[in-house]
Amino acid sequence: MTDGTATRSAAAASAERRRRRVPYLLLLPGGLWLAFFYILPMLQLAGTSLKSGSFAGGYRFSWEFSNYGAGFSDFSAQFLRSIAYAGLATLITFVIAYPLAYFIAFRGGRYKNLLLVLVIMPFLFPFLLRTLAWKIILADDGFVVDTLKAIGLVSHNGRLLATGTAVVAGIAYNFLPFMTLPLYVSLEKIEPAMVEAAHDLYANPRTAFRKVTFPLSMPGVVAGTLLTLIPAAGDYVNAQLLGTPQQSMIGNVIQSRFLLVLDYPVAAALSFTLMLAILAMIIPYIRFTGTEDLVA
Amino acid sequence: MTTPEKGKGLAGVAGEPFAVELRGVTKRFGDVVAVDSLDLTVDENRFFALLGPSGCGKTTTLRMIGGFDEPTEGTIRLHGEDVTGRKPYARPVNTVFQSYALFPHLSIFENVAFGLRRQKVGDADVKRRVGETLELVQLTGMERRRPGQLSGGQQQRIALARALINHPKVLLLDEPLGALDLKLRKEMQIELKRIQNEVGITFIHVTHDQEEAMTMADSIAVMNAGHIERLGTPHEIYEDPQSSFVASFLGSSNLVEAAVVDLARGELAIGTRRVHVIPERVPAGAAQVKIGVRPEKLGVHSPGETTAVNTLMGTIADVSFIGVSTQYLVDTELGTSMAAVQQNTGGRRFSPGEQITLAWAPEHTFVVR
Ligand SMILES: Nc1ncnc2c1ncn2[C@@H]1O[C@H](COP(=O)(O)OP(=O)(O)OP(=O)(O)O)[C@@H](O)[C@H]1O
Ligand SMILES: [Mg+2]
Repeated sequence: MTDGTATRSAAAASAERRRRRVPYLLLLPGGLWLAFFYILPMLQLAGTSLKSGSFAGGYRFSWEFSNYGAGFSDFSAQFLRSIAYAGLATLITFVIAYPLAYFIAFRGGRYKNLLLVLVIMPFLFPFLLRTLAWKIILADDGFVVDTLKAIGLVSHNGRLLATGTAVVAGIAYNFLPFMTLPLYVSLEKIEPAMVEAAHDLYANPRTAFRKVTFPLSMPGVVAGTLLTLIPAAGDYVNAQLLGTPQQSMIGNVIQSRFLLVLDYPVAAALSFTLMLAILAMIIPYIRFTGTEDLVA
Repeated sequence: MTTPEKGKGLAGVAGEPFAVELRGVTKRFGDVVAVDSLDLTVDENRFFALLGPSGCGKTTTLRMIGGFDEPTEGTIRLHGEDVTGRKPYARPVNTVFQSYALFPHLSIFENVAFGLRRQKVGDADVKRRVGETLELVQLTGMERRRPGQLSGGQQQRIALARALINHPKVLLLDEPLGALDLKLRKEMQIELKRIQNEVGITFIHVTHDQEEAMTMADSIAVMNAGHIERLGTPHEIYEDPQSSFVASFLGSSNLVEAAVVDLARGELAIGTRRVHVIPERVPAGAAQVKIGVRPEKLGVHSPGETTAVNTLMGTIADVSFIGVSTQYLVDTELGTSMAAVQQNTGGRRFSPGEQITLAWAPEHTFVVR
């Protein structure tokens, strides 16, 4: 017969060991998910971007850094266009979404939830369908073009579809909820007493907005602009459906390199370049807006 | 109930205009009447407390003075000037919010300087005045911190500094000490009083804590259901509350039904006994009233051992010793019970079942309808 206390303390120790394992076990599903669906494809992509060869003859890994240089110099126009379109669309989205979010947060009253549902409503329809609908709305014989012609904003033989304007408008429309929701959340959190305090301290409504409401909504501004800018820069659906090859963005190039030209190494190199370009843009942006500090 | 200084016009003591003057001010939120044709005047350089139970309209009154809510009816004057309908940023008052409402994205310096910056005060002046004000609230050296890095008590002082730096004509405080623990609250009560003395600005302090109001205020307005029940110095309203609401809101009291016998001599009857009160305290034209005596004003004596004007016979029902004092619960000859509190200064102590006489003076008796 074994010593009772020894058995019990051994049992306690193993229970303790099991307890210490729990957090790691809880992390496991997420960790595996990230490893399989994020890190692994990234490594795979990085590997591909450094291969040489041809589709017919097969690709071999050969530290082929020239894929990057070639990709960028061949498609610099699309790169710049992507950034310009995405930037412009983000700006337009912001200008529309901020007043919208402000109104829902401060004037929404008991209709707040209803209004939010309306903002999210377009998400209930597939991205592709929504963009196709815009194709119809902006069509040459559609009422939008007719109206704009009537008031002289579009010339008589002018059109909207197949122009940069259409692509930018499509992007702005598609990403509006991504901008509105974070803005709403940060505005909604602002205590009414903050604004009253500003008024109490001689700030008129404009100054109160400039000095208090807007700075306090900064986390939402940063989140909203990033959530719009990043996917917009890589988007290809809007350019493909609402534009022509003259409006093609880097997303279209990557897509066609991967799926049509089957030039995997350059497509992968372009993907990485896009990622780095976006990172290079947003890191100073986050620094500059001081969001870390505001959240802390 | 009193409507204080009614018909006195626009001028207070020595012809000076009142710091704050509310005339017939009513505020309705839909069907709810939050403030009901309120008349209120506050003299210059006062520590004025607005005291009342939850929901009686204190915050609403304060918000109307600050301009955050507009009255449905009535006028509001500050130093004789009609400010009804003026926006908060155009009124010479500042507010200390219950939640402090410090700006989390600004440093303590910029929080305190906020009002001066809006008034385009020059940098050198701003710097000097922020320094002075932080000194006043004893928080020198905190300029570069953010509000989130301060304790609750320190945030409270910053909220005060941020308002005071503008030298408002009136400072509004809505339960400013409500979020502090008891010890800190006591400290801040003394501190607020000192600061008010030092700056000489009228403070209007909203609270539902009667002790806080009594400790700090020069005058107190007791509010109930949207109107003012009683206005006066802490001493006046405690000794002569004039309504049973005020009497019970400010500490405990023994209330007894009484019939007016002789109005001119202040003679009343409770049961078969005659008692005397100060004649002016008996409301004219009332036949049936209530008289009240505070427990600490009731003397407990062996039968026949007192020469007081007003007496009642009774039996001790319960005794509790509290250290500084002893509390007696007495079954009186009227069939009601009364509470009496005696200081433990060496007098005789009584035990349950003993026959005693309760005695009190006319000036310690108040009358309510
Ligand atoms: N914005 C509003 N809409 C509707 N009713 C309101 C509003 N503000 C206040 N009230 C009502 O007016 C009455 C007075 O409210 P007020 O906030 O002035 O009370 P208070 O004396 O400050 O109470 P407390 O001590 O609880 O702060 C209450 O019945 C309240 O429900
Ligand atoms: Mg209140």
